[in-house]
This record gives sequence, C-alpha cells and structure tokens, in this order.
Amino acid sequence: MAAMAQKFVPADPYPWPYNGALRPDNTALIVIDMQTDFCGAGGYVDTMGYDLSLTRAPIEPIRSVLAALRGLGFHILHTREGHRPDLADLPANKRWRSRRIGAGIGDDGPCGRILVRGEPGWEIIDELAPAAGEPVIDKPGKGSFYATDLDLLLRGRGVENLVLTGITTDVCVHTTMRDANDRGYECLLLEDCCGATDKGNHDAAVKMIKMQGGVFGSVSTSAALIAALA
Amino acid sequence: MPVTGAATRSAAGSASRLVTIPCRPFPLTARRDRLALLVIDMQRDFVEPGGFGEALGNDVAPLRAIVPAVARLIAAFRRHGLAIVHTLEAHRPDLSDCPPAKRRRGDAAFAIGDAGPMGRLLISGEPGNAIVSELAPAPGETVIEKPGKGAFYATGLGDILSAAGVTHLVFAGVTTEVCVQTTMREAADRGYETLIAEDATESYFPAFKRAAIDMMIAQGGIVGCAATTDTVIAALEAEGS
Repeated sequence: MAAMAQKFVPADPYPWPYNGALRPDNTALIVIDMQTDFCGAGGYVDTMGYDLSLTRAPIEPIRSVLAALRGLGFHILHTREGHRPDLADLPANKRWRSRRIGAGIGDDGPCGRILVRGEPGWEIIDELAPAAGEPVIDKPGKGSFYATDLDLLLRGRGVENLVLTGITTDVCVHTTMRDANDRGYECLLLEDCCGATDKGNHDAAVKMIKMQGGVFGSVSTSAALIAALA
Repeated sequence: MPVTGAATRSAAGSASRLVTIPCRPFPLTARRDRLALLVIDMQRDFVEPGGFGEALGNDVAPLRAIVPAVARLIAAFRRHGLAIVHTLEAHRPDLSDCPPAKRRRGDAAFAIGDAGPMGRLLISGEPGNAIVSELAPAPGETVIEKPGKGAFYATGLGDILSAAGVTHLVFAGVTTEVCVQTTMREAADRGYETLIAEDATESYFPAFKRAAIDMMIAQGGIVGCAATTDTVIAALEAEGS
C-alpha cells in the first residue's frame, strides 16, 4: 500500500504530529470545561474573584477551530467538571479548599449550586455548545481520564492524536494533557484556545510543555492549525 | 488506596462497632460504618421478560426469583444506615462507549442499542435500563452507570467508596459469573474485603453460578467470601455486634 501523505501543523518545539499522520479519523479535538462556572458571570471562577477576561479569551479562537474541524469531520469531544448532586464523588479536601476561598462546591451561588451537575453554572456556554453526536464527558476531577469513559471512547474511535483546548491551562487542560501523554496519545495544545485565572500560570504551563523537546507534546495556535488543514 | 481513604463518618458510637459475618471460607469482621452493599445490574433488561437477557435466549425466571432476597438485604442495610450502591450496565445513546467487539458478540436477534420491547437495549435512560421497581434506589443511594462488566472500569465508583470510607463490600445481583464476579475481582485487587450473598445472586446458567462462587472462595478466599442473605442480615441485627 502506498504511504499516505504526511501532514504537519507548524508548532513549537516540533511540527505536529510527530509522524505526520494527521487525519480526521485518528485525531480528536477536545474542548475542556468551557462552562459558565469557569468563564461566565456568577460562576465558580467569578465567585472566587478572578478576572473573567482571561478565561473568556479562548472562546472565539475555540469557536473558529470547532467550525473548521467540524467541517472536516474530525472527532470532537467536550468535558464538564461537576459533581453529583449528593456530592458523593466530591473529596472532602476539595470541598474544604473551595469553601475556604469563599466558593464552596455544592453551595448555592448566583448560577445555582457551584460545580454541581445539572445546575445552570455547570452547563457549557452557549457559544461553544456541543453539536449533536459530540460526546460530553462528565468528570469529577481535573483530569478528563480519571473516573470517566474518555479513554474507552477515544480507543473505540481509533484516536491517536489529541488537540487540546479549554480552561484552565494550568489545571484541567494540563492534567488532561499529561494523562493523555502518559497513555500514548500525541498531543497538541492550542495556546490561544486556552486560558488560566492567572496570566503567569498560563504562560508557565505553555512553556512547560515545550521543555525537553516537547515533554508533553507540542504547542501551536488556532490560526496555524486551521491553515495547515486548509 | 480505598482502605486508607478518608472516613467521613464518626469513629465514635455504634457506627464503629464491629460486625462479624460467619461465611465461607472464614468469618468476615468489619466496622459497621465501613460496610457497603453493592447491588449489581438488577435492571429490567436482565431480569424481566422481554428484556435483553431473554432476547439472548435465556430463561429470566431464576433471576427474578432472587429479587426478594436482594430486597431483604437492601432493607437491612437501610435499617442500619449503611451505604448502598446500585449499578447498571448502560451505554451512551450514540454507542460511543460500546466497543464494536462487545456489540458484535453473541448471535442474538438483538444487539446492544437495537430497539427491543422495553426500548433500546442496554441504553441509558431507556425503560428496560431501569432498575426493577421492587429494588428501586432510595434517595441518597448512589447509582453507577457502567459501560463494562466491572463496576470500577470507566466509572467513579472507586472515589465514591473511598470518600465514604468503605472497606468491606457485600455483593448481590446478576449475573454471578459475569458482572458480579468481574466487579468482585476488581474490588479485591483494590484492597476491599468482599462477600457475596449467594442466594441474592443468580446466573442464566446454574453451573456457572456454582463455579463462580467456588472460584471466589477457593484458595482461602482468593477473591472473597460467601454467605447466605439470612446469615448477613442476622449478623447485622445481632445485639452488641
């Protein structure tokens, strides 16, 4: 069989994916935690007092990537961080820490109970609503693989490459990227499609990926990805 | 490790009393507040006529026959304020969590996701995917939807048990050699003490049920212990235990 043409996205520290096997059938876009609780007025991050413009910055870049990749037939998945209404899956120390900063998980907030499944604040924002057929992964932790069926879904679809977007860069995106990398997925983070509650943490999280020749994968932008696929 | 996980309940008072259940191959002793009942897959698809189990050509009558025993166990655990977790084998409506190999298996008239008499087979939210009404979960009881045979795989069960401080699991449900045994083995590897209530579990194949329980308790209880429902309930009720 003739070798399939290789395709790479310009990225730092190496053109991605490593083997040039970039196709809609083996590549998934994952949009992490674009929920009101993390980037909407009255949500968890807002209640903690952080600057929402930092976690809202990726909305438009993600929207353009979603449109492009949907049109090309790539796999697309979304995640939501949230807990069962009875909080049975909420570790006691996670709750304690959230209460200490004045935004207790499970407590009432302006958008309903904070980070609880089914509440308004837990919903994915309208601008990035999942399309029909795009799986949504409900996760109790920072990582998207832990205590979820994500790996099962990706393996079932034959996914080898993951394009990571969402919030926040240094917490849920990084945990998911590290976990994916350990599982052998080839990862690309789109830096303008991510955001953190602190700009310094976002920058440091992006830089960490690029160390050691791309210790967790490679880093690119929405425009570079879209151009490479055009 | 679940065994060393944070206990959320008080160590004082009656909750910390020990309960000893006489079972094979040895008695099991647990702190009451560390004991949980795991009811596996008592869903209409498996237990009632017209469901997936029957579609596969099985006689569901033996499975229906354990409902009263499972109900008595649930009632006893509720009476003593002990944790109860129910599981369901269920897939996403788009089948994205159903491996093709699983869907292809078997030569039944219906495959997972196909329309059946009680809705789409083994699909979350369909009527046939509900727990049988006699054993319906009460408020506060956890329900785990699982895509595999084992209840720990690709679910949050481990965290939930850990957060509740559970170390000892009593198993009931169906089918003994498939989902019950897989979950018991997963639990044993994770450090839980396990017990199967042998008359509160059933298989479509009586020989497999017997063999599965024999395997669990062989070699000094290599997977876990076995006792009857009456024995488990009597131990819970025992004065001063």
